[in-house]
Amino acid sequence: MGAALRWVVVIAAVAAGAFGAAQIVQQAASGQQPWDPELTDNFIFIKSIPFVLAVGVAVGLLRGRAGSEERRGELVRRFRPGTVIGHWIATIGFVLAMPTGMWQYLGGVLSQDAPAPGGQILLDLFRPIPLYWIYRLHYIGGAIILFSVASFAAYWWTSGDRALIPPRGQWRAHLSVFARGLPRRLGARIAGPLRLDLRRAMPAAKRFTYYETAFSFPSWTIVIALITITGLVKAMRYVYPIPPFLLYWSSTLHVAAMVLIFIKVLDHLRYTLARWPMMVAMAKGWVPESAIRRVLEDEVQRESAPAEPVPARQPAGAMTGSER
Amino acid sequence: MKPVAGALGIVWALVNLILAYYFLADAFIAKTAAREGILAQASLLLGGLLMGLFALLVARVGVRLIRAGNAT
Repeated sequence: MGAALRWVVVIAAVAAGAFGAAQIVQQAASGQQPWDPELTDNFIFIKSIPFVLAVGVAVGLLRGRAGSEERRGELVRRFRPGTVIGHWIATIGFVLAMPTGMWQYLGGVLSQDAPAPGGQILLDLFRPIPLYWIYRLHYIGGAIILFSVASFAAYWWTSGDRALIPPRGQWRAHLSVFARGLPRRLGARIAGPLRLDLRRAMPAAKRFTYYETAFSFPSWTIVIALITITGLVKAMRYVYPIPPFLLYWSSTLHVAAMVLIFIKVLDHLRYTLARWPMMVAMAKGWVPESAIRRVLEDEVQRESAPAEPVPARQPAGAMTGSER
Repeated sequence: MKPVAGALGIVWALVNLILAYYFLADAFIAKTAAREGILAQASLLLGGLLMGLFALLVARVGVRLIRAGNAT
């Protein structure tokens, strides 16, 4: 798609979004709707979703194809500005959606005759905040995440950038290095059923670690897809008759996905905080090549690796593509 | 910047430890989970254990970052 056409798509999506937002606000503020604040917010959210997704797709298309290698002396670009901004936009969405989602769940579980010891403290802490504000922030966070998902999906689809997943035929090799980095017993337990060779020698990854390609990114994709789909079904329930069993399972899986995201965020922080160059890269886009190369090489040279020597490492090589 | 990131990591880990406690306690106490059956209770238990474990790992990394200061 040419640059001019991409801009036309973006302008059309933004114009449609602005028109949609004006209509939605006008309806909500007309004073003609009989709903309480909570239900009003739900309707605003569900009506805005098509426009949010459209703007997200348009922004993803605008980013275009993966670029070539960029460097400034010792610094190499690990992430393009669009990826850095998109990552932090998604972070804002999660920071809004996660605590409010957790409160909706825990608030319900704790509001019982005999809450868990200390549960009343938490209930009292949040009591001054009207419930519809919790939902409102949750919907805002959800909308930001939907925008982000649409944007990244459109970008990856059109850019041809597949660096975050193992290349075709390489899944077992990537999983083997990932399993080797786990605590020994856990790695062995995973290796058995998946028929992984924990002694398999692999060169250092070139852009993303084997942990990221084999486990982190695929599991992020699964939990975000799960929470997005189940969230959409839940949000639709007042505007479309959802079969009760589907609503029940959507609610259950939405909570399960939320817990998995809490665990994923902790794992993400555990991994990246311990590898500081990755934090620098996601903040600035640029990172000293030697520092990021050390991180990549360290992965295939861990203490937990088997005694069998890893063959001489080939240079991590130029990090090419848009995500560097 | 490292100490700030480490401190924020510890704060996030502490919040998650509190949540993990409520999950673990509710696995045995919550009436809703008890009514829904062993699967719901086991999910709360497993979720709480994993959140607690990973929160401790994040806290450990946070402490290391604070100790490291701004050294490279």
